[in-house]
Amino acid sequence: MQRHALRALAPVVAVGLAVGAAACGGGSSNKSGTSGNGNVTQGKKGGTLQVQAAGDFEHVDPGQAYYQFDYMMEFVTQRPLYNWKPNTNTVPDPDLAAGPPQVSNGGKTVTVKIKKGVKFSPPVNREVTSKDVQYAIERAATPNVANGYVGVYFGDVVGWKDFPKKTKHVAGITTPDNQTIVFKLARPVAGTLAQALSLPASAPVPPEYAKKYDAKNPSTYAQHMVFTGPYEMTTYQPGKKAVLKRNPNWDPKTDWRPAYLDQIIFSMGNDATVASRQILGGQNQVSGDFGAPAPIVKQASTSKKDQITFTPSSGNRYVALNTTIKPLDNINVRKAIIAATDRTALRLTRGGPSVGDIATHYIPPGMPGFEEAGGMAGSGLDFLKNPNGDLALAQSYMKKGGFPSGKYTGSQKLLMVGDNAEPGSKTAQVMQQQLQKLGFKLNFRQVPHDTMYSKFCNVPKSKVAICPNVGWLKDFEDAQTMMDPTFNGTAIVPVNNSNWPQLNDPKVNAAMKKAELVTDANARAKAWGEIDKMVTALAPAVPWLWDKQANIRSAAVNGVINQFNASWDLAYTSLKNP
Amino acid sequence: MGTYIIRRLLWVVILLFLVSLLTFIIFYLFPSADPAALRAGRQPNPALVEQIRQSLGLDKPWYVQYGKYMKNLILHFDLGTSYQNNISVKTQIFQRLPATISLTVGAVVVWVVAGVSVGILSAIKRRTWLDRTAMTGALIGISAPVYWLGLVSLYLFASDIGKFKIFSGANSYVPFSQDPAKWFSSLILPWLVLAASFAAFYARLLRANLLETMSEDYIRTARAKGLGERRVIMRHGVRSAITPLVTALGLDIGILLGGAILTESVFNIPGVGRLAYDAITRSDLPMIQGTVLFGAFFIVMANLVVDIAYAFLDPRVRYS
Repeated sequence: MQRHALRALAPVVAVGLAVGAAACGGGSSNKSGTSGNGNVTQGKKGGTLQVQAAGDFEHVDPGQAYYQFDYMMEFVTQRPLYNWKPNTNTVPDPDLAAGPPQVSNGGKTVTVKIKKGVKFSPPVNREVTSKDVQYAIERAATPNVANGYVGVYFGDVVGWKDFPKKTKHVAGITTPDNQTIVFKLARPVAGTLAQALSLPASAPVPPEYAKKYDAKNPSTYAQHMVFTGPYEMTTYQPGKKAVLKRNPNWDPKTDWRPAYLDQIIFSMGNDATVASRQILGGQNQVSGDFGAPAPIVKQASTSKKDQITFTPSSGNRYVALNTTIKPLDNINVRKAIIAATDRTALRLTRGGPSVGDIATHYIPPGMPGFEEAGGMAGSGLDFLKNPNGDLALAQSYMKKGGFPSGKYTGSQKLLMVGDNAEPGSKTAQVMQQQLQKLGFKLNFRQVPHDTMYSKFCNVPKSKVAICPNVGWLKDFEDAQTMMDPTFNGTAIVPVNNSNWPQLNDPKVNAAMKKAELVTDANARAKAWGEIDKMVTALAPAVPWLWDKQANIRSAAVNGVINQFNASWDLAYTSLKNP
Repeated sequence: MGTYIIRRLLWVVILLFLVSLLTFIIFYLFPSADPAALRAGRQPNPALVEQIRQSLGLDKPWYVQYGKYMKNLILHFDLGTSYQNNISVKTQIFQRLPATISLTVGAVVVWVVAGVSVGILSAIKRRTWLDRTAMTGALIGISAPVYWLGLVSLYLFASDIGKFKIFSGANSYVPFSQDPAKWFSSLILPWLVLAASFAAFYARLLRANLLETMSEDYIRTARAKGLGERRVIMRHGVRSAITPLVTALGLDIGILLGGAILTESVFNIPGVGRLAYDAITRSDLPMIQGTVLFGAFFIVMANLVVDIAYAFLDPRVRYS
């Protein structure tokens, strides 16, 4: 249930697994798309699938959608320029676009041609043009819609900063004809922009229809949406249910999605444990926004193996150590804390080995740059060597840090702010014990997850020393989306700051600035892998988990996992007996 | 009586005003999530966060925001718009209200019938095996947490995941207007679970009161006058002993109409309680404010009804 303002890892309602990478997905590229025993190429048409969810969508408006559960629905109701087939999670396929993006002008111009014959659902009914894509991206930049990522990936488009206050359109987005859209960039970052065109903000929105809704603050377009994908949302009762039925204007000739199902019903507000039992024992159901709780994972792993699928969500979890607060401004003290921490115990608080691998650095498995950063073993740093913790080593680092007894002897209490709900609260409590082993005195506050982020860890002036419940998920398969928001010193902001350790190392910052412009895939992976090594060596946090999500399905469902989104792909999932 | 009711209604208005003010102060002045930051998402331009703050009026002092909120509430009965889905709070609460009313009314019937019957039987069969069994059951009913009881009942009796597939399980709620038969069957288990602790409490309370009442002089007098035991118990004993139950019943109904959070959560009944819970977990302040106000409204109105009912139940009570 990844549903918070940040694409930071959120706690899960009483479940043991990482739930939700927002646009997140699989670990490695080109994995089998048949996870969940579904078959990508075969499926029977018809039937109704029920998607069981604990919560609601964070947003249904494609201009706002930013989380895994949102994407599960968006990817079958909307058609962004590019989209993710079940098997692919490195390069998206053209969806509304007619072909791959054309990069020119030394990486400063991206041109995309769009398909003919794609129509909006009723009541608009007309053919989609490039101006609809232009409007969709521009509206996402307005405060009435308030998208969480367009500023990051479209911020380099010429004229972006002047819109909407000074200009009516973003100067760098033009539509020479109805089938072409051109993005002009101030810096050669076309590769990143091209990947971002797979996110739902590039799904077309008809301006003549949507403007009246977008004029309201906040926009009410979500209650009046039109669709271009194989399904349209015919019913949406927040927190209760959403019904998707076939879009009468969808032409399968323009699409690669098979869309086997006749109807998809999202049922929200379920208890995760009860819903999991219903799915495993029932008919035609799959899990939605939650990973199966630990007891269910245990049960399914032994007796219903083919109904459970573990999918890397390309996310990490770590304990952030504020590098600006004494004594954590001392690198040896930070290394001591990392060395002392029993990361196996931290992982147990979320359910043990099935929830993921113990992290040794920050880029998750499968993402370009992971191997370059040291792979599963990491880069050999002694303070990360023992996942069960090494107190003797920790004490030696404390001595180097100016504490001859090997323990913290200062009088200062460190402010630690963690979750007040499980499983995050347990993680925080275990971390408290780890810190006490080294003599640290804590002012430990436990608050709701949103509060932890938006009032404490995201606000540098709150002077939080330790944030035990933070983590990050990719936006797409690029290490920049993992490392830049979280460790770039130039990105530290007074509100919504996601560089929780407030690491501001000139060498790291410079390396990131350089790496952002690298376009060659191998060189890019190497550059970001090196950055990961640099960051890990600076000990700004205790990395402890690379998440996996346990998706479950009924036996009668041919479930197909979308590796990118780490959840069921509803366009490919079908029923065995519809 | 008329003056009394008008005076009480004025107090209701004042009380609701105070509740709204208190809720507003709690959620705006004490640490909670920043709505502008939540809406802005990851790594927003700080200017965008500021724009959102301005557009939602969050940059204004809290009393200005509160004044605007109250103005909209009083003049237009507008409870604002959810930060979560941009839909009117009032609309969402009214959509959820039928489910909560269905759950509450059914549970009230169950627990009043069960609680009163068991209470009377235990009192008149004092110190028998029936009394002891009933009171042991009541103790268990009071002690069992609703959430646990809900899960256990589902694992035992739900038609989908239960060992004995008897009742409709979680997520089976159907509105009465859609299918009355399914509505009824989907609510049997939630009614029983929700009513269990209340019935137990009412049974114990009525038993204790009735035992005390039955030792009063006027009961002895009634018997001496030759009235039948049944009439003595029901007309003279129970009528007096049941008065405290009416007070409790009024309050309990009011509280439950504000949302039976746990029962609604376990059985996935889309009621007001679940709505309030979701709003709290998402720091959706307008929705929190709306659901709290609704809950408070039901509680104070239920109190008023109880006080009026007193005058009819107890001849000694007169409002003037």
